[in-house]
Amino acid sequence: MKPEREPVGVAPSQELAHLRLLHLADSTLPIGSLAHSFGLETLVSAEILHAGDLPEFLHGYLREAGTLEAVACREAFRLAQAEHQEFGTMRWIQVNDCLSALKPARESRMASATLGRNFLHAVLGLGDFRVLREARDASLEFGGLIHQSAAFGLVSGSLGFEETRAVLAYLHQMSACLVSACQRLMPLGQTEATRILWNLKPAIIEVAADSADLTLETVRCTMPLLDWGAMEHPALTTRLFIS
Amino acid sequence: MAATAKHALQEIVPDISEPSRVRALLRLTFSRDSVSDKTFLADSFQEAPLKVVRAFTLEDGTALAHLHNVSGGLLGGDHLAMQVNLASGAKVQLTTTGATRIYRSREGFSATTQCNEVSIAEGALLEYLPDATIPFAGARYLQRTSINLAAGAGLFWWEILAPGREARGEFFEYEEFAMNISVSALGRRIAAENLCLRPRQENVSSLARLGPYRYAATFYICRVGLEAREWRDAEDQLQELTVSMTRRGEILWGVSSLVAHGLVVRCLARNGRELLPGLQAIWRSAKRHLYDREAIPPRKVN
Repeated sequence: MKPEREPVGVAPSQELAHLRLLHLADSTLPIGSLAHSFGLETLVSAEILHAGDLPEFLHGYLREAGTLEAVACREAFRLAQAEHQEFGTMRWIQVNDCLSALKPARESRMASATLGRNFLHAVLGLGDFRVLREARDASLEFGGLIHQSAAFGLVSGSLGFEETRAVLAYLHQMSACLVSACQRLMPLGQTEATRILWNLKPAIIEVAADSADLTLETVRCTMPLLDWGAMEHPALTTRLFIS
Repeated sequence: MAATAKHALQEIVPDISEPSRVRALLRLTFSRDSVSDKTFLADSFQEAPLKVVRAFTLEDGTALAHLHNVSGGLLGGDHLAMQVNLASGAKVQLTTTGATRIYRSREGFSATTQCNEVSIAEGALLEYLPDATIPFAGARYLQRTSINLAAGAGLFWWEILAPGREARGEFFEYEEFAMNISVSALGRRIAAENLCLRPRQENVSSLARLGPYRYAATFYICRVGLEAREWRDAEDQLQELTVSMTRRGEILWGVSSLVAHGLVVRCLARNGRELLPGLQAIWRSAKRHLYDREAIPPRKVN
């Protein structure tokens, strides 16, 4: 079947955009999200993180890493919005380089980059989207990574989603993937996992709102304990996750 | 004050005309004598309270300089800047004469700021090995560091953050400690950190932040031009050391390769006693691996 070509200058209906956003933000989208714990596995293995700690831990995670990823998502979204202008190739490379630099642990950095590349590839398989193609080609040319949050923002901007909804959806799927990882790492049942994700929603909204006025130069992210977990993950003898 | 340092200060402190105790710049330029292969302090500009008295020559030709703050610490409202330039092939070791004390910010004074700009030319090597930074109760501190590495340039750069005056039972009573660092190689950013802790506003002991640990250290190890495979080898070698030094519940060490040209080491510790010896052990091992040379500890930490 011939891939869809997005009509230039025509925004999809709100209903269609909403359905597409739900689809792309589904944590079960087959890009490999469920294969990564981003260092959580080490914290659980070292008996530092327990099921009872999760609500507080995830709030902190959202406040730190969530804000950083939300800012990157917004920056990439805005790049895609300038649809009648030349795509900001160098800014796209800078956004991703900045994220690469801000992710000290190799495995977590590569996890984010693998998911970003897979996500962009998956969407490019659904249609001929000029901005996304240019972004992919530029990253290949400059040897830069494509991070998941940036890819999600760029795709969302390119497909005409509303910016804050896109950021909320990204943060929600990020949180869902972490909770899912925790279910496989510790004694955490479906009901409790559902409750944890349900209760995180106000924090997701708060982080998305706070990210609106920040830039990658000003956003803070202080997670040294999880950085340690991600750095030490390769040294674990038995691993469920790639990162 | 040099234009770039002033610009950097203005980014952190939009109105630097406000009441402040001190605005000072320390600029150091090191060059290498190609005949003797010794590095020397070629030029310096010093404003009190920042001071470097002289540079000593170490046995391998490295220039060692001690960074002094003659006021004894950083006071609320102080805006300090340091520029360090290493010419091609220079080898420099910078250290402090003791812990950097950040005193409480008094009402009406802005946060204490410190801007560092470092430029390391082709084939030069900077080893920055300071003592811990101790933010006192009520302190507000913003630090911004920018490091640029040219082809073949090397870097060993650590920072140690203490929770406060541990001996008097003062933990996390400061207002704010923010440390922004950016390391670029060949014009492209390879490492960045935007750490910010506000113990009075948020739980710094959250497992998403420091957890049960009180001290944090970061150590950047770079040599521009080495291939990714070589960094993975270096990471594997240092990981054996970090795993051996880790004692869960007391001190955690981790190492990882950067996106290119380097490694980063993280440490979290319940107390500061093992931190400096651990950093030195990693420094020795990494220097042997990357430069096939022995690390020469500054005399004060021998």
